[in-house]
Amino acid sequence: MKISYNWLKELIDFDLSPEELATTLTFLGVETSIASGGMKWTGVITAKVTEKQKHPNADKLSLCRVNDGTKDYEIVCGAANVEAGQIVPLALIGAVLPGNFEIKPTKIRGISSEGMICSEQELGLKDSSDGIMVLNPDIPLGKKLEDVLDTDTILEIEITSNRGDCLSHWGIAREISAKLEKVINLPTVKESKFTEKNIVDVQAEELCSRYIGCNIKDVKVAPAPKWMKDRLENCGIKSINNIVDITNYVMLELGHPMHAFDSSKVSGEKIIVRKAFDKEQISTLDNKTYELTDNMLVIADKEKALAVAGVIGGSFSAISDSTKDIFLESAVFEPGNIRKTSKILNLSTDSSYRFERGTSWKVAEKASWRAINLITELAGGRLETREDVNSKDNEKLIIQLRVERVKKILGYSVDEKKIANILRFLGIEISSKVQNVLIAEIPSWRNDIKQEIDLIEEIARIDGYDNIPLLAENKVVLADKQQDKNTAEFINALSDTLIGLGFCEAVNYSFAEIKDLDKLYLKHSYKIANPISKENEVLRPSLLAGLMKNLHFNAGQGTTDLKLFETGKIFDETGEHKAVGILMYGSVWQNWWRWEGTKTETIFDFNFASGIINAVLPKGFTVDNNKSPEKYYHPGKTASIMYRGKVAGQFGVLRPDITADFTNEVIYAEINADAVNIDSPAKLNFYKHISKFPAVKRDLSIVCDKKVPFEKIEKIIKQIMKSGGILKDFNLFSVYENEKLGDDKISYSLRLYYKHDDKTLNDAEVSADFKALIDKFEKDLAITLRS
Amino acid sequence: MSKIEPILDEALLKLQNAGLNDIETIRIEYLGKKGKITEMLKNLSELSIEEKKQFGAEINTAKTKLNEAVENKKKEITARLLEEKMKNEKIDISPAFAFPFSKGHKHIITKTIREMTDIFVSLGFDVAEGKEIETDWYNFEALNIPKDHPARDTQDTFYLEGSQNLLRTHTSPAQIHIMEQTKPPIRVVVPGRVYRNEATDATHSATFHQIEGLVVGEDITFAELKGTLSLFIHRLFGQEIDLRFRPSHFQFTEPSAEVDIKCVICGGKGCRVCKQSGWLEVLGCGMVHPNVFKSVNYDSEKYTGYAFGMGVERFAMFKNGIDDMRVLYENDIRVLKQF
Repeated sequence: MKISYNWLKELIDFDLSPEELATTLTFLGVETSIASGGMKWTGVITAKVTEKQKHPNADKLSLCRVNDGTKDYEIVCGAANVEAGQIVPLALIGAVLPGNFEIKPTKIRGISSEGMICSEQELGLKDSSDGIMVLNPDIPLGKKLEDVLDTDTILEIEITSNRGDCLSHWGIAREISAKLEKVINLPTVKESKFTEKNIVDVQAEELCSRYIGCNIKDVKVAPAPKWMKDRLENCGIKSINNIVDITNYVMLELGHPMHAFDSSKVSGEKIIVRKAFDKEQISTLDNKTYELTDNMLVIADKEKALAVAGVIGGSFSAISDSTKDIFLESAVFEPGNIRKTSKILNLSTDSSYRFERGTSWKVAEKASWRAINLITELAGGRLETREDVNSKDNEKLIIQLRVERVKKILGYSVDEKKIANILRFLGIEISSKVQNVLIAEIPSWRNDIKQEIDLIEEIARIDGYDNIPLLAENKVVLADKQQDKNTAEFINALSDTLIGLGFCEAVNYSFAEIKDLDKLYLKHSYKIANPISKENEVLRPSLLAGLMKNLHFNAGQGTTDLKLFETGKIFDETGEHKAVGILMYGSVWQNWWRWEGTKTETIFDFNFASGIINAVLPKGFTVDNNKSPEKYYHPGKTASIMYRGKVAGQFGVLRPDITADFTNEVIYAEINADAVNIDSPAKLNFYKHISKFPAVKRDLSIVCDKKVPFEKIEKIIKQIMKSGGILKDFNLFSVYENEKLGDDKISYSLRLYYKHDDKTLNDAEVSADFKALIDKFEKDLAITLRS
Repeated sequence: MSKIEPILDEALLKLQNAGLNDIETIRIEYLGKKGKITEMLKNLSELSIEEKKQFGAEINTAKTKLNEAVENKKKEITARLLEEKMKNEKIDISPAFAFPFSKGHKHIITKTIREMTDIFVSLGFDVAEGKEIETDWYNFEALNIPKDHPARDTQDTFYLEGSQNLLRTHTSPAQIHIMEQTKPPIRVVVPGRVYRNEATDATHSATFHQIEGLVVGEDITFAELKGTLSLFIHRLFGQEIDLRFRPSHFQFTEPSAEVDIKCVICGGKGCRVCKQSGWLEVLGCGMVHPNVFKSVNYDSEKYTGYAFGMGVERFAMFKNGIDDMRVLYENDIRVLKQF
């Protein structure tokens, strides 16, 4: 909302400059900035254009001689409206205009200019202007511009949703009043004589707690006086005619929206406040027609709706130049209902904005009288009949404020006198006091104050947050929530390890498009009911969709290899889970000059990925056969990730049809990080004694049927290792096949490590064990030694 | 019987000028089985006992001396040769020759979250996680935001089809979950992802991150809120940063405040980022509203507390001069590698 600095000064006497006022209000919780006006320049004086000639080298420029009373200046001016004889604002060399624009000596098309004749826009007085500013002819020359202009400064205020009462000059004045402890001088409001008559019929009491209707006869509709027009326009409201302008003026002054109807357009004797009929139509002042629903409130006569209550008036009963008699409405409508109506109609007006935030039952009456006073004064007319319908007499709200509670919340003591003073200046009456308890009576415009804590906030706010001391003591500690910690620690550790291995972390949106999921054979479980775009259609069921998008994007930018991971929530039919997704593509290593010609490029495939997965996963994780692979994996190139015997994820090569755009295989792993959230006591990790005695190595080359998975061979070795014998470790160092072995055969070379904890092994001991292994291979898997 | 000294002197002299390969030859010449000094020992038998004693001792001393000299010479030459060898082994240290090990990078959002939570952990806060799919009760009602309240206007909500559930619009529902599960004292921060149903542009995103904080105890005051959050801002942005607490309004706190810092881009002079105000709004906070305590059955007479919430992306953008939020979610590897 726009607030006039001068208007405010009329209501309350203060010494703050517009800038100081803006800061003060901001620190009271009303964010304020200077919208326009005020002096934002230096070095601008009043001067007279004594001569105007055409610029010799430019059609649209003029060459002006300008005099400041003692001295002449040669000025090049581009405005079309400049004429000899005008008194104008002249920015001299060295002047600074808004936006830090400094005037320097310059040559324009070959002619030097000793300054600039300014427009209102250039001076920051208006948002736009047409040509230079022309001052009154009686203004003396050579004066500082700011001394001869009577300019108002307009402040832009932004209220928080609970402070509808600040949407007027009076409301803002109340804030300043409390801060500076100064009284407000509101214009006096006089009640005039009238006849009480039943002219209003409120049929929806729950949506309208007060309705004051007044019939005013014989008004003269004309333009409003200049002072009123200026104030309205400065505050961003278009001037229409004196009647409409008065209702708007009172709204800006006291905060209560009102509406005036042309009585001659109302059929019947009464104004009816009722719910709209379903699909009832109304043409309104914004030249639109709205279709209403049956939960909206309208102001109607016996035939038709005349206005959407609290939102907008109808065009049919609008005040026009020929209007003689008017019906003036000042009412209190239910905020929630106005808000709904405004939302459904997608129409927000100055009126609905205020009603939505709650209006005062008491101010409604004050505003009505203030408007009637102004109408009688400025448009003639006399009040004839009046009716005040109130469905409930709003009871006074009384709150008890314990002085010691203020300290308990704020952490410092505020003097009891000070508290009472702050509240009184805010319009809150302190009626009595019992044992450090203040009894506060809340005025009806402060609908945000409902309980003691709200009063404490008022005290903190007005006294100033800067007066609250800084205290930083750690007094309390929360018991650990172990479950979340497991997941968080797992993710942190895994992320750090992946980063150490050269992976970059990605962060994608939680949404996905169904068509993208379809391509990845993914199904969604959660659909957004009200997405604003296709991109937000569903919640991601996997991190794959985002990471694949990233791969496509980066490949498009010329990247040929990518190691990415992401951690975040995924959403499936069982709910939300924290997951880690890892994507690998392209070269494992970048090319190196030393490998030139000696080494084939290493490209990520299942085995590379498997090595990384096995290396990065902490204790408790193992890799196993994938019994029910995700559809996006190549069924022959995938494995499952287990945590303490339970499936916790999968990894593998993505199906070729998914990755058809790419030359190489794309590897993806997804781990459910919630899987580590097993509520079991921490396992102690006991130190393993390292034998001082040397290990004996034995190499073994075997030939076996291709159909036998290596896993079976591994199983036999591991069984022997587990049995506590001298075989301690093994690794696979060669895989070999050729026609000599036969098409169905494959050969593996293994290195076995034998060791004893307490002694050096002799050859016979190792040989015996070695032979036992070979025998078992032969017996269980028909494996032979390679000759 | 010849004297031992001239022979020893002769050997030491030879040694002085010897190369590494000569040393062994010299040793054998004097101390080998048929060496000159060894030979002299053999001749001792011809002497009297007195002479044997005296001359024997002399020969042994000479032997020891020569052995030491041989060893020292060897060490000296080996050391010299090593120095010479290393001098010739100078490598080109240019990074272009280095093995191209690619470093991984944490995402700037994760990095910022960790940086922020670490500060709170050092202030005695615990870290918890919250749910992203929420109900109206946790996201709004329990936080004193009734239906049709204007406060809901600023939080356009994504609703899920086929249920009453929604995507949380802020991390504040975590406050309710924590208070339901725990008795005071509470001192916790909750980082997480939140959703707003709005179009994505340079400063808006349908998905973004917040950090929520909640402290509840028997004597928690606004003064402690101010102290703790001032400390946090100073640790994050440095001791010199100017900050201010400004009254504001949130339904779930009373009194409420917003914290501004002096614009880190222009230093307070006014720029596009701070909308010419010289200040950047970085977090919202306040004392927990008694109605919130009521919805979790806490006695608001006994307990007081404060809560705060802040947007992670804002901090990340301010601290790293990022002017378009979409950059954070594009995952361009050339951008990811900068952090």
